[in-house]
Amino acid sequence: MTSSSAEGERRRRFDNLVSVYHADMFRYAAWLCRDRSIAEDVVQEALLRAWKSLDSLRNESAAKHWLLTIVRRENARYFERRRLETVDIDSLTAAQAAILAETPDEALADMRRAIFELDDDYREPLVLQVLMGYSTQEIGRMMGLKQGAVLTRLHRARHKLMDRMANE
Amino acid sequence: MNCEEYRQALTADPAWTDETGHAAACAGCQAYTRKLQSLNLEIARAMQIEVPALAMPDLPDIDAARVTTLPARRRSWAPLWFAVAATVVLAASISLRMSGLFVTYDTLAEEVLAHLDHEPASLRVTEVPVSDDRLQRALPANVAVFDRDRALVTYANPCIINGHRVPHLVIQGQYGPVTILLMPEERVAESIPLEGDSVRGMIVPVGNGSIAIIADRDEPLDPLRRNVIESITWTT
Repeated sequence: MTSSSAEGERRRRFDNLVSVYHADMFRYAAWLCRDRSIAEDVVQEALLRAWKSLDSLRNESAAKHWLLTIVRRENARYFERRRLETVDIDSLTAAQAAILAETPDEALADMRRAIFELDDDYREPLVLQVLMGYSTQEIGRMMGLKQGAVLTRLHRARHKLMDRMANE
Repeated sequence: MNCEEYRQALTADPAWTDETGHAAACAGCQAYTRKLQSLNLEIARAMQIEVPALAMPDLPDIDAARVTTLPARRRSWAPLWFAVAATVVLAASISLRMSGLFVTYDTLAEEVLAHLDHEPASLRVTEVPVSDDRLQRALPANVAVFDRDRALVTYANPCIINGHRVPHLVIQGQYGPVTILLMPEERVAESIPLEGDSVRGMIVPVGNGSIAIIADRDEPLDPLRRNVIESITWTT
């Protein structure tokens, strides 16, 4: 295969993957960082990294897991880089408010607010289970947790949401 | 199974199936199940936030024809006879390539890079350190001592490289996890560069052995190498 046709094939392969998984990547990033514009930055960085290391992906059926792992790592890097900067609580709330503002009905907005208020440790496994469809075993592998710990977090996450929605 | 156990299992995992038939005989748990199903639907709906149009970043040119890939992992569904045959061929190949009085350094480099591919779970961005017990099991005091004040160790496992037991550690670098393989029995004359698909690093001679350091491509290698070497004291 010539260099240019190999490059073309590589680019086609990448475009196909991105077209299928871009929405998952964005939503995962958005629920991790709770901010649309940061999520867009994280996804951009993740796409760049995925492009550079595309050749390490040998099995297309693992593409979703591979891309989400890159998003997770980029999100951690993003906040690691900004750890020493002042965190503006008001602007974080404003970022969440922007997502809530696009919500079509009040009940849905209440649920989004409740999910935003979950600790990261509870929100992330819930997103991976409900939105991404991963089993508790797979979530454990992604988050570096034992399956029992994942089950505990998911149980607590739903209980918190139940309590919160009951008080709305 | 009692109500508490049933509800706990179902709340943690909606895909869980009640093989004991508890809910069939418990009106309270049937109501709880319906309430939970409704909650799960609301959560799923709430998580479907609007996705912006895809904005592809400027992708750098990559000479695809020159990209080399690491060997693929063995597929778990392969028939047993094939796995055995492949293992025999692989073992024969490694023993041929690694036999003799002198180590073939390129082969060691390949084996080190391939090893990374076989333990992807080690490469997590995390701030949770491994326990002292775990580190000691992977890195016995009669092999080397690692100064934990110099780096955050987030993974430690005893592995086999070129037939020798090798402590495999992961520390957190500036650009993500950094793999360190302590190879007290692999003597190398000079540094050997390592080039993977998205990683790079080196095998550096340290005392009578060597240390492989592999990191993200963006990680500055020189300060990393200095820090790792200063963190390790061989005790063999």
